[in-house]
Amino acid sequence: MNDVSLFSRIGRRIRAWSRQHSYSFFSSLGVILKHKTGTLMTVLVLGIAMFLPLGLYVTLNNLDNVDLRQDEWSAVTVFFKPGIDGTEVRRVANELQQRFEPGSMTLISPEQGMADFRSASGFGDSLEILDENPLPWVMQVSPRSGSTDQLESRVAELTAYLDTVNSVELTQFDYKWLQRLGRLLDLGQAAVTLLVALFGLAVVVVVANTIRLDVASRAEEIEILALVGAGNAFVRQPFLYTGLWYGLMGGFIAVVLIALAMFYLGGPLGLLLETYGSAFNMRGLEGYHALWVLAGGALLGWFGAWIAVQRYLRKLRIGGRLGRS
Amino acid sequence: MIRFERVSKVYPGGSRALADVSFDIERGSMVFLTGHSGAGKSTLLRLVMMLERASRGNVFVNGLNLSEAPDRLAPIVRRNTGMIFQDHKLLKDKTVADNVALPLMIAGLKYADIRKRVRAALDKVGLLSKVSQMPLALSGGEQQRVGIARAIVSMPPLLLADEPTGNLDPNLSRELFALFEEVAAQGVTVLIASHDLDLIRRMHKRVLVLSAGRLADDIPARNIP
Ligand SMILES: Nc1ncnc2c1ncn2[C@@H]1O[C@H](COP(=O)(O)OP(=O)(O)OP(=O)(O)O)[C@@H](O)[C@H]1O
Ligand SMILES: [Mg+2]
Repeated sequence: MNDVSLFSRIGRRIRAWSRQHSYSFFSSLGVILKHKTGTLMTVLVLGIAMFLPLGLYVTLNNLDNVDLRQDEWSAVTVFFKPGIDGTEVRRVANELQQRFEPGSMTLISPEQGMADFRSASGFGDSLEILDENPLPWVMQVSPRSGSTDQLESRVAELTAYLDTVNSVELTQFDYKWLQRLGRLLDLGQAAVTLLVALFGLAVVVVVANTIRLDVASRAEEIEILALVGAGNAFVRQPFLYTGLWYGLMGGFIAVVLIALAMFYLGGPLGLLLETYGSAFNMRGLEGYHALWVLAGGALLGWFGAWIAVQRYLRKLRIGGRLGRS
Repeated sequence: MIRFERVSKVYPGGSRALADVSFDIERGSMVFLTGHSGAGKSTLLRLVMMLERASRGNVFVNGLNLSEAPDRLAPIVRRNTGMIFQDHKLLKDKTVADNVALPLMIAGLKYADIRKRVRAALDKVGLLSKVSQMPLALSGGEQQRVGIARAIVSMPPLLLADEPTGNLDPNLSRELFALFEEVAAQGVTVLIASHDLDLIRRMHKRVLVLSAGRLADDIPARNIP
């Protein structure tokens, strides 16, 4: 056999293959468009099933991004030893600036502290009886912003260093809330994983069940196809395409639902977060996220259809009921 | 074209449909298969189409030993075999043309070629005027002929028919057999299972007679007056 005939044979096989696929493709699209109501219901259920994990993911993504841990929220409070003067405090502040480039630093002199205390505590003039100001210099340092984990390690570095500085009496930091926020976000991530697995399974089951009914209603057609020489792949193809369409449309619905939810919840949520004093930019799905959702939906739909058809193809085996009246 | 070597078939339930059957059918010949109800005619055809596997012995079709061929070859065997069923096995929601086109769709032919070949096949069975009808709008005989058109459209080397004249009137049956004869004359091997002894006798072809799963008689073509 010469090369030309080999190539033309391969070319012919490929063309035959693509024609078979285009036949399946259009036949699957025909089925979907014929049963509009059924398709719509299936696709809505799939869309909602995909929306739930996706919604939680978007929520977490936003929470992780909120500036909750900025500034005073994550500030380390440094108390200097009594009698330490401003020169030493400013030296330490310079040192910190160079070593850690903190997000912000505030120095509070004993006088400033006393003034604040007076106005805040309501003791007012009664504090005049103290002939000496008992308050030390205080400094508030916020680490550079970053993820929860980064913040935690930056705070740790900062306090470790400050513990070696002689003029510092003690450092104070409320790790707990930062850790809590971190753990909560971790928990949320785990919940997203769980929901993705669970609702992914739901998508597969819903598609498998829908396709199973579709297959059963076309049992006669399948039998005839097999009798005139259709292989399993040819019988399977249109159903796989149908499953793929379902998944794809379900994914599209989910993405649209996310956009609607963002639009609907965006206003109230923004107002809520403003009370925490943080500028809040709501993040939706990125373009590549949406592509992932569509591809994932299509894949799950394809897989669900595959399961449904495969169960049925077993009945077409040699020695089965095929061809009997 | 078809060779049975000591073939037995016992169904899972334990009923013996064929016992030690051997014969050889030449390429391009037309052969009848007859016998009482339950004699094993349908079983024999099912073995040739790879719808069933022999319990013992070898079934050769076109040189391929079906008893040893893997399952995945079954579609290819069927693609090379035109089969005509008593109950037609037509798709009720597809036009006559679409039904006949099915084997060519599976083979992945070009639409233009499919159209041409479908028209040629329908012309051969005299149904060109019914191309775009639905099968249920046709008479029983016409439906049977659509089935024949579908069986010959891909020009397979082998044509099988199980009781093709089951509920047709004698005239139609005769026409149908004449059509099979024409197909055989073009080099296609034709094997027809039938009860219709009168008609079979008149065709002067070779006849295999089954009785309770055994090959009771093998009447050569020339011995029939
Ligand atoms: N799927 C099956 N399971 C068990 N036994 C079967 C099966 N199919 C056929 N048989 C038995 O095998 C024997 C031969 O059946 P077959 O259908 O081949 O006969 P036939 O010659 O075609 O009869 P008919 O003229 O009535 O169509 C019968 O006894 C039948 O009961
Ligand atoms: Mg029978």
